[in-house]
Amino acid sequence: MIELESVNKIYNRGQPNEVQALYDVNLVIEANSMVCLRGASGSGKSTLLSIIGCILPPTSGRAAVAGKQLARLPDRFMTIHRRRTIGFIFQQFNILPDLSVQENISLPLLPLGVSPKERRIRAKVLIERLGISHRQDFPAGQISGGELQRVAIARALINDQPIILADEPTAHLDTKLSQEFLQTMVDLKKTGKTIIIASHDPLVTENPAIDRIIDITDGRVDVS
Amino acid sequence: MRPAHSFGLIICFLFVLDTALYFHVRFRQETGQRPTAHLNDIVTAGLGLTDLCLATEARYTRHPAVSDLTTPFMDHPGAIEHFPSGSFWAAPQD
Amino acid sequence: MNPALEKHLNLLDYALSSLWRRKLKNLGIITVFAGVIFLVASFQILTSSLTSTAETMLAKTPEIVIQKMSAGRQESIPLSYLNRLDGVFGIRAAVPRIWGYYFDETSGANYTVMGVERKAMPEGRRLEMAIEGSYPEAGQGGAALGREVAANMKLAGRRTFSLFRPDLSLKTFRITGIFAESTDLLTADLLVTGLDDARDLFTIPDSLATDLLVYVTNPNEISTIAKKIAARLPDTRVLTRPQILKTYKVVFGWRSGFASICLLAALAAFAILAWDKASGLSAEEKREIGILKVLGWQTTDILTLRFWESLAVAGLAFLIGCTTAYLHVLFLEGSLFRPVLLGWSVIHPSLKILPVFAAGDVLLIFTLSVLPYLAATVIPAWRCSTISPDAAIK
Repeated sequence: MIELESVNKIYNRGQPNEVQALYDVNLVIEANSMVCLRGASGSGKSTLLSIIGCILPPTSGRAAVAGKQLARLPDRFMTIHRRRTIGFIFQQFNILPDLSVQENISLPLLPLGVSPKERRIRAKVLIERLGISHRQDFPAGQISGGELQRVAIARALINDQPIILADEPTAHLDTKLSQEFLQTMVDLKKTGKTIIIASHDPLVTENPAIDRIIDITDGRVDVS
Repeated sequence: MRPAHSFGLIICFLFVLDTALYFHVRFRQETGQRPTAHLNDIVTAGLGLTDLCLATEARYTRHPAVSDLTTPFMDHPGAIEHFPSGSFWAAPQD
Repeated sequence: MNPALEKHLNLLDYALSSLWRRKLKNLGIITVFAGVIFLVASFQILTSSLTSTAETMLAKTPEIVIQKMSAGRQESIPLSYLNRLDGVFGIRAAVPRIWGYYFDETSGANYTVMGVERKAMPEGRRLEMAIEGSYPEAGQGGAALGREVAANMKLAGRRTFSLFRPDLSLKTFRITGIFAESTDLLTADLLVTGLDDARDLFTIPDSLATDLLVYVTNPNEISTIAKKIAARLPDTRVLTRPQILKTYKVVFGWRSGFASICLLAALAAFAILAWDKASGLSAEEKREIGILKVLGWQTTDILTLRFWESLAVAGLAFLIGCTTAYLHVLFLEGSLFRPVLLGWSVIHPSLKILPVFAAGDVLLIFTLSVLPYLAATVIPAWRCSTISPDAAIK
């Protein structure tokens, strides 16, 4: 469950380049739902996603993700909470191109003290599930956009996090791959995960699998 | 093999090499230098030697132990230092 | 395996893989770093070894040496000064000595010519043990040569040679023996002859000597007796055995010119490295840190990663540098520094010395090399790892 109450986010507070990205956001997202944050570029979708994803703390207000109050969490605990709870799929994928596909996927496991053998096993399960076995040992910089996205999805799932966040996931994909992505999300929802997708792509916003659409305009959320 | 193990092997190899070199030197000390050490004592005492024979180009490099601070200047008013060997030695301390 | 240990091994794996991905650059850094450490360590090992060798070989150096000084210059000492030592209690023997340098114009070599009355010297009667042949008897024109002197003269089987007196007349010597190879570091350039023969060669009057060697009854009284001698002979310079030995403790000090060059080169190299690292991480490196943080890596994990990277580079360079320095002195006789040490010398004694690399020296070089590098690489990583991951991956 995700709860936001009167959440504001101001960047560079007190400085000449101060910018308010979110205004008084109130939001509740139920567990095991698939939600779309819809809004134009610069509307605050990514900021809202970053707060839900425990990457940024809110400037004011209350934000609770999976039972933890984010505003009160020190950076260290926020990282631990994020590691356990959130799987993030970035717009730019943010894959390390020099590492192999398998190494990219198992990156979140390194600081947890998981052995190389165990990492390979866990990554292999996801690699096979997402159909990229033939690229397992390839450097990630040498694979296609669609395969990259599957690597990003696999990395987001490696710790079996209950919440998956995706920021403009179809921005660099064609229609076919976009539909494949959405189907993967639907399958994940069936396994009990909570999926939140930030997008203004009609392919996503008009998909019947989306339980709820949250419109966001100029940092303000319309929860109608 | 994981990279940490490979790296560990390289480090271990270097440590083993260093240890072997250390014991090699100890062995050479025992078998080489000790038996002939008394000859050096005889020569030093018998001739009243005060210095090792290293750089023979100037008095203050050949006999630094019995040179004084002005020795480098004694050869000629315009004599320059014997470089580079002269720069190897610090000035004697009285 | 313990998860904490496995975590560090994982981070080390990642660090090493990261270094290997940029292998050309990192191998270059390791090579330069190891080269600088090799330079400093070689110098340190060579000088420590020479100091240690000197301490061992010169342990039996004369207890007191008296030189006459005039206008700041050393000159021959009158033998009448021996009479003035009569009243000094504790002196066992005072022995005059003639010695000086002979410049061989043909080869450009400097020989140290020495004449002593061996019967008056400690161990004088046993000198034959160190000579392949016999010790030259007084007044017979004999000479025992150091090995390098014999080689330099190109005798080709001859048993005699001649040297010029100051008036350019020739004095002929007969070779009685060659000093043993194991005494090379003491005798390589020596030409030892009888006291009168040395006096004849240098045309030093009978009433003068080059210096006086004084032996005392009680070695613990050396300083006291030296002070008394200095009081009786105020125009002399009185050197004691501890002073002579102390020379070799400090002669290769860090303030000597060549040591400063080595040290400055090392410091300059580290300053350049540190400046390069401290000028900040590249955009790519910042992005990588941002991605890792978003994936759940903590600031401490990132710092540990950078620490392992730096330690791998610095540690490997340190071990390679020190090991090669040790091999350089042990098997190559410090051949890189030999031309510097020998300078323009024509006589080249062998530097078959056993390397001495004290734990203190190792620690000093480690502190001057590895620690600054760790600081220079981990500090910018700390600065960047504390930035928000959101900012890093935008």
